[in-house]
Amino acid sequence: MGRLILRRLVSIIPVLLIVTFAVFFLLALVPGDPAVTLAGGLNATPAAIAHVRNQLHLNEPLLVQYWHWLTAALHGNLGTSLSTGQSVSQQIAQRFPVTFGLVVASAIVALVVGIPLGILSGVRPNGTLDAGSRTFSTLGLAIPSFWLGVILVSIFAVHWKIFPPTGYTAITASFTGWLKDITLPAVTLGLLVGATLARQLRAALIDALDTPYVRTAWAKGGTRRSVLLRHGLKNAAMPVITVFGIQIGYLLGGAVIVEQIFSIPGLGSYMLSGITDHDLPIVQGVTLVFVLFQMATSLAVDISYGFLNPKVRVS
Amino acid sequence: MSTPLVEAAGPHSGLLASWHAWWAEHTRLRRFLTRTGVILSILWLALVIVAAIFAPLVAPHDPDAQNLLATNAPVSANHLLGTDDLGRDVLSRLIYGARISMEVPFMTVGLALVLALVIGLVAGYRGGRIDYLLMRGADAGLAFPPLVLALAVVAVLGTGVGDVALALALVFAPGFARFIRGQTLAVKEESFVEASQSIGTPPARIVVFRVLPNVMTGLVVQIAIALGAALLAESGLAFLGLGPPPPAADWGSMLREAYDNSLFTHPWSLVPAGATIALTVLAFNTIGDALRDTLSGTAATAKRSRGARRQRGLTVVDRPTQPAVTTGSGAEQVTTPALLEVRDLCIEFDTAAGPVRVVDDVSFDVGAGRIVGLVGESGCGKTVSSLSILRLLPSPPARIVGGSIRFKGQDLLDADFAQLRQVRGRDIAMVFQDPLASLDPVFTIGYQLTEAITLHERVTKKAAAARAVSLLESVHIPDAEQRLGAYPHQLSGGMRQRVMIAMALSCHPSLLIADEPTTALDVTIQAQIVELLHELREQEGLAVLFVTHDLALISELSDEIAVMYAGQVVEHAPTAELFAHPAHPYTAALLAATPGVRAVEGRPSLMAGGVPQGGQFPSGCRFHPRCDFAEERCSTGVVAMEALGPDRQCRCLRQRELALPGVGDALGSPVTLHPVRTL
Repeated sequence: MGRLILRRLVSIIPVLLIVTFAVFFLLALVPGDPAVTLAGGLNATPAAIAHVRNQLHLNEPLLVQYWHWLTAALHGNLGTSLSTGQSVSQQIAQRFPVTFGLVVASAIVALVVGIPLGILSGVRPNGTLDAGSRTFSTLGLAIPSFWLGVILVSIFAVHWKIFPPTGYTAITASFTGWLKDITLPAVTLGLLVGATLARQLRAALIDALDTPYVRTAWAKGGTRRSVLLRHGLKNAAMPVITVFGIQIGYLLGGAVIVEQIFSIPGLGSYMLSGITDHDLPIVQGVTLVFVLFQMATSLAVDISYGFLNPKVRVS
Repeated sequence: MSTPLVEAAGPHSGLLASWHAWWAEHTRLRRFLTRTGVILSILWLALVIVAAIFAPLVAPHDPDAQNLLATNAPVSANHLLGTDDLGRDVLSRLIYGARISMEVPFMTVGLALVLALVIGLVAGYRGGRIDYLLMRGADAGLAFPPLVLALAVVAVLGTGVGDVALALALVFAPGFARFIRGQTLAVKEESFVEASQSIGTPPARIVVFRVLPNVMTGLVVQIAIALGAALLAESGLAFLGLGPPPPAADWGSMLREAYDNSLFTHPWSLVPAGATIALTVLAFNTIGDALRDTLSGTAATAKRSRGARRQRGLTVVDRPTQPAVTTGSGAEQVTTPALLEVRDLCIEFDTAAGPVRVVDDVSFDVGAGRIVGLVGESGCGKTVSSLSILRLLPSPPARIVGGSIRFKGQDLLDADFAQLRQVRGRDIAMVFQDPLASLDPVFTIGYQLTEAITLHERVTKKAAAARAVSLLESVHIPDAEQRLGAYPHQLSGGMRQRVMIAMALSCHPSLLIADEPTTALDVTIQAQIVELLHELREQEGLAVLFVTHDLALISELSDEIAVMYAGQVVEHAPTAELFAHPAHPYTAALLAATPGVRAVEGRPSLMAGGVPQGGQFPSGCRFHPRCDFAEERCSTGVVAMEALGPDRQCRCLRQRELALPGVGDALGSPVTLHPVRTL
């Protein structure tokens, strides 16, 4: 198991290098002279431009620039915001828990919705419940998160006033306040991911229940519970976990949209402010954190896959 | 495509006739295009695209013409979808919005495809270091949360239509590239590509003319789904304010405007743009899913199931209310009932083309402590018959439509799940063909063994584990205690089958059904398994129904044999008699074709043709098209099973006149008996 984790860690190093380079390279993609843009565009004074150029080592070769950027990033220094002058790392550290909470809450909603639906429709495909669950999954893949979000706001916040339409309470300030604020955003994202999850679990379960080992389990005199939930579900879990890992990426992107709808001060709204203000260090910093977050999730998924699948674990 | 067209050109040929022929020829395409969902989706997309192209002609109003006197107007004849907060006509804005909302996805997917085809084809076809580098690049692209990558690129490039499409193309390209590379690798191994290589076709030519067309087939599905995803992403960006600059608006920015300006006052204004996006994505996805089903060819059968009556883990019984009185089988035993009595068993499979009878009127007995062989070529229905005893055939497609299966006098076809569960594993146990596939890969064999015990008996975990060890020892597995923690893939093939047998024996069943238990094993292991079964019969009085196509093997094992052909039992006899004097030409042919059990004058001969598929059984005797002794009368009517002696039956019109060659003893040394004609 330790070897498995080590192997995975080693195998992501080249990907990590490419990813960080890509984030760094965003700067080089800026049309015109990045130093001018970063120093404030047309109003930039020559002194400010020279300062930026010096600070970002823009006179040196690209790879050297990357090296400076990377070592700084490894030391937790993602630069300073051009518009506010604040440290990007500090802002990210403050906002990360907000987005993390939203993603976790959404993932919980997704699991709570997706797993029972997936099981019920996988066990009895083509039944009434399956038809409903499949409709739900199909719609979940087609409905945009921002539309679902605004519809939920208009029903539950504007019309029925059960939840606040926007706003955010820190979980450390008040748990119930947080829960109230996070419910609609988390349901928005979670329902859609849950729809995909249900669809995948259904397919995986149908496949698993069609295997010779499940026939063996029936032939042994297995109860429905032992066959469907133990043999069927444990085998079906493996492909589904992989898909769920990929879905976390969708959750992170969705978080940007949902934070915008519900005015949640997380990483997504920080990134958007960076985009509208042409504040590239913010965009780079948040992008880096997002991609690292997703890579960490994939790693966790790989490892948990190893726990579930003895073939991966033992060999 | 041209071939059927030309062939169809008969005397009355015309465009219509050839179209009909072509249409009839392309079953898959027809099945795809006649799905309601697909029709609706194509219509919707056509509507959207046509409206977008001809927007100035179609739109009832100028999309940007404000009318501050009629803001948020309700639906009316003049404004079919009402007006927005600036009094602009919503329908007209949707139609003009379609121009951007449809343009970006197609541009995105087109760009992504160009990128991905280059990367994927080169990586897949070249392999080696280039492949490694390109795929790490793709991994890196896939490591980004999709929307975040698009946002980061848009942040740098800007929010013009081309910029957004390029940003999204970067999001989609890595996934495409991976897929294309995988397909390329697979196609590269195909013989036609190897053939091209061997005659010196340049690689670029092979890739473009050989690999690419094959890759495109699977890619079509990905493209359809990606178009929907790109629309979602583009609208998402626009909703975030990163869309085209106002007053031009795509659907995403229309929704944003409605949200910002009319959420509290006119919630219905949230509907048109959002619903349009959702419907369009739904249309792309529907087409993608249908394409996937069509290409993989799995679509049609699923629909036919009778949902309400299906039950997991129990074959549906669909008999006439009065169980048919045994007719014409001639297999009745006057004496005490046997342990297992299968009578007139009929099984149908529901297929897209209707129900197909795969087991027809099958009867046989297994007496206590007896070993009975059920033999025949693959596809003759022997496995289906053996699985039906514990009702392990999945419904759909299987249905037991007639007969009875009595175990110790109780008809298992009357049992419900709870009753049958008690019989399974405890009174009747099963061993299957492929032990690796039949053992659950994610549980240890210790778990699977103890589960077999605790399902039927109230014992402590410790006691069950101790019994599992002694079970493993009884099937001669060394280091039994250590093996409990092993997973199936860690054992050898013979070891796995012993585990299966140990599991089957865990509750001391009186009948063991073994379905080709030695097929996947090598000859030495086969012999050991046969030995083991003998031993168990001696020690525990175990009765065995042994399903196999291997006559040499069964000759060493069984007391009696039932031979199946095309869903029927054609001969039933004690083993020695069957081998010495086969009564049915099929049995004789089987004997002649079996290496090791050789008929006298014949070399091992191979029967021409194959077992007919269910639903395509010939009339009369089902074997007559392949039979050397067939006469005119064999091809009509129904041939019944007839008694040939106290414990022999045969289904052949000429069984009394033919004297077929057999083998002297069951062990296969050739002895001349009644050679009439070699098969």
